[in-house]
Parts: sequence; structure tokens; C-alpha cells
Amino acid sequence: MTAPSSTLKTSRLSGLLGNRALLTLGIVIAVWIVASLTSRGFGTWGHLRYLIELAAVIGVVAAGQTLVMIGGGIDLSVGAVITVTAVGVPLLSIPGDATGLGAIAAILGITTAIGIVNGAGIAYLRVHPMIMTLAMATFLQGALILLAGGSAVSVDNAVIDMLGNARPCGIPASVLFWIAVALVTVLMLRRTRFGARVYALGANPLASALSGVNVPMTTLALYGFSGLMAGLAGLLALGMNGQGYVGIGDPYVLMSIAAVVLGGTSILGGLGGYAGTVPGAVLLVTISGLITVVNASAGWRSVLFGVLILGLLLLSGREAARR
Amino acid sequence: MATPVLEARDVRKAFFGNPVLKGVSIALEPGRVHALLGENGAGKSTLINILSGALAPDSGGVLVDGVALPLTPVVARRHGIAVVQQELSLTTHLSIAENIGLGAFPRRFGLVDYGALARSARALCERVGLDEDIARPVGDLSLGRRQLVEIAKALYRNPRVLILDEPTSSLSAHETRTLIGLVTALKRQGTAILYISHRLAEVMEICDYVTVLKDGSRTADRSLDGVDAAALVRLMVGRDPGDLFPTWRPTAEQQPAIAVRGFAAGRVRGVDLDLRAGEVLGIGGLVGQGQEDLLLGLYGAIPAAATTAQFGGRDGLPGSVTAANSCGLAYIPADRKREGVHLVHAIGSNMLLPGLARGAGWAWRYPAPESTQIRALAARFGIKGDLGRAAQALSGGNQQKVALAKWMPLDPKILLLNDPTRGVDIETKRDIYTMLRGFAAEGRAVMLASSDTPELVHLCDRVAVMRDGRVVAVLAGPEISEERIVALAMAADDVRSAA
Repeated sequence: MTAPSSTLKTSRLSGLLGNRALLTLGIVIAVWIVASLTSRGFGTWGHLRYLIELAAVIGVVAAGQTLVMIGGGIDLSVGAVITVTAVGVPLLSIPGDATGLGAIAAILGITTAIGIVNGAGIAYLRVHPMIMTLAMATFLQGALILLAGGSAVSVDNAVIDMLGNARPCGIPASVLFWIAVALVTVLMLRRTRFGARVYALGANPLASALSGVNVPMTTLALYGFSGLMAGLAGLLALGMNGQGYVGIGDPYVLMSIAAVVLGGTSILGGLGGYAGTVPGAVLLVTISGLITVVNASAGWRSVLFGVLILGLLLLSGREAARR
Repeated sequence: MATPVLEARDVRKAFFGNPVLKGVSIALEPGRVHALLGENGAGKSTLINILSGALAPDSGGVLVDGVALPLTPVVARRHGIAVVQQELSLTTHLSIAENIGLGAFPRRFGLVDYGALARSARALCERVGLDEDIARPVGDLSLGRRQLVEIAKALYRNPRVLILDEPTSSLSAHETRTLIGLVTALKRQGTAILYISHRLAEVMEICDYVTVLKDGSRTADRSLDGVDAAALVRLMVGRDPGDLFPTWRPTAEQQPAIAVRGFAAGRVRGVDLDLRAGEVLGIGGLVGQGQEDLLLGLYGAIPAAATTAQFGGRDGLPGSVTAANSCGLAYIPADRKREGVHLVHAIGSNMLLPGLARGAGWAWRYPAPESTQIRALAARFGIKGDLGRAAQALSGGNQQKVALAKWMPLDPKILLLNDPTRGVDIETKRDIYTMLRGFAAEGRAVMLASSDTPELVHLCDRVAVMRDGRVVAVLAGPEISEERIVALAMAADDVRSAA
């Protein structure tokens, strides 16, 4: 159990996420207040909006990662899938596709299929999720270098440009998009049968199978969803960057896993929820933003970031002992 | 009479308040093969663990050469006590020779002397009748061969006391003969041997003395001279059922809910079986004779085959758990912590799972009817307290109730239960028995695999006894008795007909 026993007693049936989400949210607010007071320019609307925009990409990848991890797995291929999307959309854009929606649909189909292949390897060939998704990531990176070469490709796609840069009512489109993804993910986990099966699968695959849960199909759906989410995150990243290049998705593997764990989802599966991942993603970009203003070399910044993530995990994301 | 090498005096042991040994004494003498008999759960394993130092008794003492000692596995080994456990303790990646010498490698200049190890390993393999290359990893060997390595490992230290826990359970007839020869030779050399076996023929052949345990008490401790197999069986069974079991009238209908011919799954082969609506069909036998494979195969959880099969009027095996569920089957597993409940999830979520496991994944959940359903189930099964607690907060008995209750919303027509009362308190046992007969009275079919023989006798319309993957007999009505079931399970009939 990730929640302390005192909260277990009061938690409702569907409220197993406990206090982790709130705890992470509290840390985010505390960090923001302290940073606004001490660092000039941090607390401005423009800067905070920028942080949330950055968090949106992580948040969308982490939606898939949250489901996979609740289901007892892990998806290390999300970074490569984001790169596939960012490099693939420019390649798939053909003159006849004026709106650019065709390329988007095609690439999302591809990323979902990549996820389903991951799921098939895990469910039917019984490859460990870590090995399966890592092998997939390596394969995809190699294939991209063969297809796209090493150079960056620019995109000319109205929809992607809008996702990355439009600001209806002053709110970035990427953030609105993230809110929509968050709603769908939370509802899917808490209010659909599929969600119940994901929790059951992660907590005890054997007991789930004997209770009639179709374990292979649930696994396929999980990784397929993660592939779709990584594809959507890739569209956001492409829109913000304006161009795709090999390696654009690399940071998101650790980021998505860290956001999920910071949000209180158990790395052992079966417990947690997306409501914690959202502040987890915001916390991550906040910290990396704060480190950027520290006057240090890139090497030291990376060291500091790693140490801070570890410290935060000790504070909020540690696994409670299970019997 | 010689001084016993190893002796336990009036030892008592309880687990979680459940007495397992209630003052048992046993004395092993040099040059004697001592049989230890008893049904599953009689306390044999606990006694062996106390004699080998793996467990400390709550009271009473263990004496080595007449001196009381606080025995630990290390001390036991130093005094020449060796145990060949039923659950094998070999390291699969190491070679036969390395396994035999493990923990006591011969050394030369501070390094392992592989030459000396190979010589003694080769000699030991010859003694136990294992004709394998001693450099082979143990993982490559069959179960029976591993058993022989295990015995060679015990002999490597030249034990004065050798405890053999069901050494022949996985051996072929030929290997068994070699082992029996070996035991006889060791006895002549003056080794004290404790021999645990469910095969009465072997016991009658090689043992000199017998101790019988029943429910943690000693019911016999005597020489085997002039004792026949039937008398041994009588000593092992026959306890007072008390008022544990409900009274019931037979409600079996002629119509079978399940009918299989030539059924095979896992180690189960060639089983012809009918399960009728309105009856409780018991599946008896020693532990691990294929009972679990039979249930899992019928349930579609492991691959199964049959020449003909009918499930609730439909032809063919379900083939998958989902299909079995839609045929009206439900399965309640033996290992509830691993297979029956989701320990970290709320009691309520556990009870909803079979319902949520079927249908389209995107189908919406409705919290209000769900919580009504959970509360009704909890009330019906007497599960008290906050249903939002994690299931691991419950006692074993209550977890079992959850494992049973969760199927009720699906209204299963056929219930397959695998040892549902194992490790369950008396109160819950009685509840479960009443419920099972209740299900039968409602016209459901109940298949009850059990390691508890009284349960089979007092609760079942019919009892199928399994041995070595086959149903050796189906007893009905007055034929059902503990003596008959145990005799069939242990092939005591063969002993009698052979004698």
C-alpha cells in the first residue's frame, strides 16, 4: 500500500490514490512560492505559463506511462516513439494532404501500433517489459537514422503549429490539450471496466487471470495507449520546437517515469493514479527550470537535477513495504 | 536397547495459536529404519523440521546421543544429522558434483580441490544409482534424478542420522529399488534412518519400526512386526468430526453439469468424470496427485484436452477462463494470497473484480450500485468492518470468504473449489461447509478438491480419489469412509493384493 494505514481506513473504494497526489501538489506550490520570492522573474505569469507548457509534454507521455506502471509494467520506448513522431510527421506530409490531418492520423496509427507490438511481445512472447520496450526503443532509433539521416527536419503543418503555439484566451493550446488528456485518463482509470482491470492486473496478474481478466488483451491495450500518448506528446514537442530531430524524445523516458513515481504511483503496480502524475510533471519542469537559472556548467546542472529527483522521491515517492 | 542417536521428547509446536504438535516423542536408534506415517497436516513436516533444527519446539526437548541440545541446522549438521527434504534444495545452475559438496568443499592450499570433489561425487553417484556426468548442471536433470543428487548430497557428510522425506515420490520403479537397497545397506552400517513415505508397500518392506501421527498426536509407536497395511491406515484416520459439518439431504439431479471423457490437463490423464447439478463432488487423494490440474484444466486456466466434453449442455471444453466464466464456472484457488485475492486492493474492489473483468473495457462503472452490491455481499458472507480496507488486513478465513463472495454476482452454476478450508479457522470452516451444501441445494454443482479427508466424507455426495494423475475410484453414499479414501489414495489395496 502506498498510503499510510490511517488514511487507508478513511479512503473510499475508488480513492486508493491516497494523499500522494496532494502531497506532490503541496510540494509544487511550496517550491513555486519560495522560488517566486527568491528568484526574480520566476513568479511572472509568462514564466509560469511557460513551465506548464513544458510540463504538458511530459504530462501527456506520463499519462500512458501511468497506465502501464499501474498495470505492473514499464514503457522505456516512449522517448523513441516521440522521436518517431517528430521526425515522421514531416516525412509523411505529402502535397495532397492540405490540412496535415492525414499525416497526423498516420503517425498516431503508427505509434499506437508500436505500443501494441510492445504489448504483444510482453503478453504472448513473455518478454519482460523492460527488455521488450528497451529493444523496441533501440530498434526505432536505428530505423530513424536510416530513414531520416541525422539532420533535423522542419514541419509545415497547421494543426501541429497550432498545438504548439496557439493561445486561445491566453491559455496555451498544449495546456488545454493536456487538460483533455488528463480528464480522459482519470475517467478511464476510475470509471471504466478497463481501468479496474488495469489496477487488478498490476496488483496480482495471476489472481486477475483466474478472476476472468483477459490479461493479454488488457496488456495490448495498455501499451497501445502508451504508444498513442507518446505520439500525441511527440506532436506537442514538434509543434513547440518547429522541427524534429533524432534524440528529441530522449529526455522523456526518465521524465515520464519520474513524474509517475513522484505522483505516488507504485512502481510495483496496482496502486496510484493520474491525479498524482499531473503535479509530478509540473514539479519536474519547475526544478529543471530553477536549475537553469543557477549559474553552473551543464554537467553540474545535470548532477544537481539527478540529486534533486532522488531527494524528492525519498520525500514522497518511496515504496512502502508490502507483505 | 541402544541409546537413541536422536530423540525428541514431548515436543509441542503451535503456529499462530494452532497447535500442530501436541506432545510428540520419537526416538531414532542406530541401525534401524523408522517409519513416520500420518495424513497431510498430521504434523510430520513440523516434526522433521524440529529434528533437523530448522524449527525450535515451543516446549519439550531434542536429545542427541542422550544429551539435550538447542538444535540449529548447523549444530544438527555437525552431529551428523542429514535431511533429504521433499522440496528440493538444490542449486540448479551448479553441477551435480558442486551440489553434492556444497558447503563442505574439499580444500587444498585454500582453493577448492575439484579433483577430490569429483572423486567423492562419482563414488556417491554410484552408490545412489545415478549414472550421470557429474559435471552436468542439476537444472538439466529430471525430478527423480535430482532427488538422487539430493540423497547423494546428504550422504556426502557421512551422516549418522538420515531423514528421508518422501524420497521415492518422484522416482521410477528401478530407482526406487536402488534406493531401497541403499537404505538397507546404510542400516547395516549402523545409520539411524527416519523414513517418511505415503507408499505403504515400501514402508512394510524396509522399515522396522513405526510412529504414526494423527492431528499432531502420536497414535502408535511400535515395531512393525505383525502389523498389516490396513491396521496402519486405521491408525492414521478416524477422528471425531464433531458438529463441524452441517446435516444435509442429497439434492443431486441426474443431469450432469460437467461431463468429460478422456480428460487430460497437466499431469492429469484419462479422467472420465461427471459433475451433477445439485451435488458436492469431492476430489480426494494425497497432495499433488493432479487435483489442482484437474480443476484448472476444467476451468480453462491451463491447456487441457478431452475426447468428449460437455459443460452445461454445451459441447467442448471452455479453453479459456473467460469462456469458462460464461459457461457459469467459478474457481476458488487454494493459495488465496497469490491466486485468490488482490491483497493491496480494497475488500470491495476484490469483490467487484469478476464482474468488471467481463464485457467491453470502455463500459462505464456505476459507483452507487457497485457499493450497494458490495455491502450486500459482505453482509451475506459475514465480512465485517470497513470494506475500503486493503484485503491484506483480513484474516485468512475472511480472505477466503472474499475469494468466494466475489463470484456470487455472476451467479455461477458450477463452483470449483481447491482446498478452500486450508489454514482457515474452525468458525469459517463451518460457514464455508454450510454455504457449499447451500449451493448444492440451490441446484448448483460443486466440485471440492480437499486435502482434508473428513471434509470429503461428511460433505460430499460422491468422492473421486486421485492418484498419480488418474481418478482411481469414485465412491458414492455409504462407500465413502476415511479408511476407503486413504487406502485408495495410498494404494493400500495393491499392498493387500500383493501380499
